[in-house]
Amino acid sequence: MSTQPYAEGGQGPKSSSNPTSAGSLLVADCGTVFTKVSLFGLVEGQYRLMARGEAPTTIAPPYEDITKGIIQAINIIEFITGRLFISEGRIISPEQSSGDGVDVFISTISTGGPVRLVVLGAVDAAMERFASQAVSGLYAETYALPSPSQIATSAPAPVPVGAGARSSGSGTEGPWTPERVAFEWERQIERIREIQPHAALIVGMANGPAGPAPLQEACQLLVNATTELNKQYRDSASAGIAAADVASRQIAVLYAGAPQYVEAVRGMLKGTAEVTRVDSLVSQEQIGPTSIAVGGLFERDVIQRIPGYARLHSWSSSTPVPTATSLSSLVRFLAQHYAMNVTAVDIGGANTTLMMAGERGEFIPLVNCGVGVGPSVGAILQRVGIQRVARWLPFDIAEDELRQYVLNHMLHPHVISTSQRDLQISQAFAREALILTVEAAKGDSLEWLDADLILATGGVLAHAPKYGQAALMLLDALQPRGVTSLVLDCTMLVAQLGAVATVAPIAAVQVNENDAVTHRLGTCVIPFGTLPENEVAVRVGIEYTSGRQVTVDVMSGSIEVIPLRSNEQALLSLFPAPTVDVGLGPGERARAAEEIDGGLVGLIIDARGRPLVLSGEGKERQKRLSQWMQAIGA
Amino acid sequence: MREGKVSTMTYQLGWSVIPQILVRRERWPGGYKTRTVPLVYPGQEVQSAQPVMRLERIGSAEAVATVPRSSLPRVNDAPIDVSSQIARSSAHAPDQGGETLPAGLGGRVIDITRRGGVIIESQAAVLQGVIGAGNQVAGILTMWQAQTSRGGEQGFPSSALLIVPGPLNSNMLREALVFGVVGVIASSISSRDLESFLRVDLVELIDCVDVESAQAHLPRMTVLLTEGIGTIAMPTRTLRLLSHYQGLMALLSGVTSIRQGVFPELVISLPEVELQQPWHPMRPDPTLTIGAQVRVCSGDHEGAIGIIDYLYLHQQVFSSGILARAARLRLEDGTLLTVPLVLVERIS
Repeated sequence: MSTQPYAEGGQGPKSSSNPTSAGSLLVADCGTVFTKVSLFGLVEGQYRLMARGEAPTTIAPPYEDITKGIIQAINIIEFITGRLFISEGRIISPEQSSGDGVDVFISTISTGGPVRLVVLGAVDAAMERFASQAVSGLYAETYALPSPSQIATSAPAPVPVGAGARSSGSGTEGPWTPERVAFEWERQIERIREIQPHAALIVGMANGPAGPAPLQEACQLLVNATTELNKQYRDSASAGIAAADVASRQIAVLYAGAPQYVEAVRGMLKGTAEVTRVDSLVSQEQIGPTSIAVGGLFERDVIQRIPGYARLHSWSSSTPVPTATSLSSLVRFLAQHYAMNVTAVDIGGANTTLMMAGERGEFIPLVNCGVGVGPSVGAILQRVGIQRVARWLPFDIAEDELRQYVLNHMLHPHVISTSQRDLQISQAFAREALILTVEAAKGDSLEWLDADLILATGGVLAHAPKYGQAALMLLDALQPRGVTSLVLDCTMLVAQLGAVATVAPIAAVQVNENDAVTHRLGTCVIPFGTLPENEVAVRVGIEYTSGRQVTVDVMSGSIEVIPLRSNEQALLSLFPAPTVDVGLGPGERARAAEEIDGGLVGLIIDARGRPLVLSGEGKERQKRLSQWMQAIGA
Repeated sequence: MREGKVSTMTYQLGWSVIPQILVRRERWPGGYKTRTVPLVYPGQEVQSAQPVMRLERIGSAEAVATVPRSSLPRVNDAPIDVSSQIARSSAHAPDQGGETLPAGLGGRVIDITRRGGVIIESQAAVLQGVIGAGNQVAGILTMWQAQTSRGGEQGFPSSALLIVPGPLNSNMLREALVFGVVGVIASSISSRDLESFLRVDLVELIDCVDVESAQAHLPRMTVLLTEGIGTIAMPTRTLRLLSHYQGLMALLSGVTSIRQGVFPELVISLPEVELQQPWHPMRPDPTLTIGAQVRVCSGDHEGAIGIIDYLYLHQQVFSSGILARAARLRLEDGTLLTVPLVLVERIS
């Protein structure tokens, strides 16, 4: 399968001694909220998914051991298969003649939180973007803190106007007086204390108006802040603060600034932090080394500090891999293998991931850390506000109810929605998580790929009670255009297969085709351009393999589903209105050269227009939402 | 699956109410700027009401000024010399204060932390809350009664930890604050009322990384909610425990941080008379087994308490259409309820 290096950072899995001959594999994906374990085995010479189990992730007290949740999930597989995989707290390996045990154990990890990275020095908008791009495919958050002299020389000081004008007493405005500099310095130390970073990235080429002063200030800031943080954490080590964080207070420093100052920076930070030099970050082409270095930090400072990691590693045939890294391998493989643009989305409890891979090797990854539908659901509410979430609900909701939902899900991230109302609220948050991630990806990226295939995973999508609900979430949030296919990863396997591929490539390919991407929701036609109001947007002609022909006129603003089941194929003809585009230009008719595949939902025609605009009038919007849900079977 | 044993998300100590357990807690009032002088030494036995530290408060940026200055090679026209400004702005002298803080727990001093916190080991009952706010405080457990809150004759003892059996509202909290109550333990409150009292965005508060800074701007009264946000009554078992220990001093922390994994708790050192009886410390087992007492933590039946009557072997369908592994509970009123396993937490 994929032979691509882990270019977005991090260490690829190490091969086991004889992995390709594995007859059985257990693959664990440890998420923030749930741990999913899958058993792959040979059935008539083909690797297949035999069983899967799911249990809460157990890195927090009272368990404080990631392997406990894995064992719970494996216990479910033992119940299903009647085989035994655990003995005395260890994986039985290799597979025994009795059928007990397993040849290979592999794990992927997305729990433990992101690497928090402060970007210091001569940070301007471009530097901030490069740093953000460098970590976009990783579980990492960046916080830019330009040095005071950088701020002072890049932003003109406001000039007081009029007789009554006075400088602000807060110290945050006005000319760069010594008092304001001191205030800014103190603010930055306070900010670092709030962020509690794992690492710092120092950038700047010392050729700006401030010269090397920003680099100097970055070092001084780190010296001061590290002293503060160390004091704080040593002090509170016994006060119930998470031990993993206490242990990680030594801030790692990546130096991507002017090469001539690297030794001076090392000298300034001697005794405070170990400085790793990476290529100077001055253009998009040079983000690779920074990305790899940050990926390494995630493995060292986050993954390897997860409680129970040593035991997990001792079970494993390869080093545990970040889930996003594994997913990126699979997405790029699929894009190359099928020669199409593939978009994968993974809506998790703490992160939302969007990965786009093009048939010509293009790759746009974005892990939106801290935006998810579990413990991070509060971040969605804070970023978008009540109205943007409520706009997806076909009923009125009070602000208090929505806030209570959010608080409850932050405090109990493992809960599932047992009522229809709660389910719709959770799906509204899922839409916004994805929209935020798309917005972030568009902000970071110069190019955008129209997806031929959209592959969706993550609990809120995979466990949606109706396939139409998953399809509608994807259409609402991603807003694809033209013709695309939706595939739902109901078994939540795809994020693990990239890691599997590095150990057992044949197993990964066969499980992917046999079990992971088998839940095709359907082909979607999404006309765009100027859709004529209250008129037909597109006429759709379907010719089934049986010879039966159907023609459907789809009105602007509506969704239609034309029956075309999973095992059916049909020839598709599209006759758009003169101002409507189905991918070939306004008014251009299209007839598929090859038959299109059906799916669990059917052939979906989404003629609601792009961008999708929801009515500002509550009742009207709710009526429309209900119509769309009914049409798509949500 | 091993017969009838399932773990789920749960409280940090395993159960929400633990009648007997050996705990170690740092007595620390919170705040970066707080400095204390310990009045006890490791190995010393202390009583709950015994002063164990004296408070001093120091200005904000002391640490900045004390860091040695180093520099890059000399740069011409460097626009700003930061360090000297920092040094000038941060020379604050410590305020000498005489306030002392009681231990809050009875037991043995184990250690003194660098910041002057006192770690005490105690045989105690522990109550874990779902959400709270405010730094650690020590006070006398005092049961709330409607007439006493209206400025009646009885009033509240100063430094009371007020127990409110039912849901709270913001007026009750404000009233308690006026009376000098240092902490409130209640079942639940609406998010609007709690935010109105705390004057913060609750989502932001519990999502913070820096818990010390987050607590710094809250009213000086700590809150612990046993059931969380909403209008859920306090379970009988919890209320019974609190009633049993009313009049005793206890240690309350409201700090809640999802990111740091810190949740509110009340620790009550067992009185002498109970310590003389056989000691049966609990090792709470969070595993969901038939016969375990559990609480429903979300959904239409949030707050309901029952005994696991049956663990379904196969996934069940719920009204949302979602499939999930499930348990059947026999609730306190005798009715049966089928709920997803992930919605129940073992409480005893």
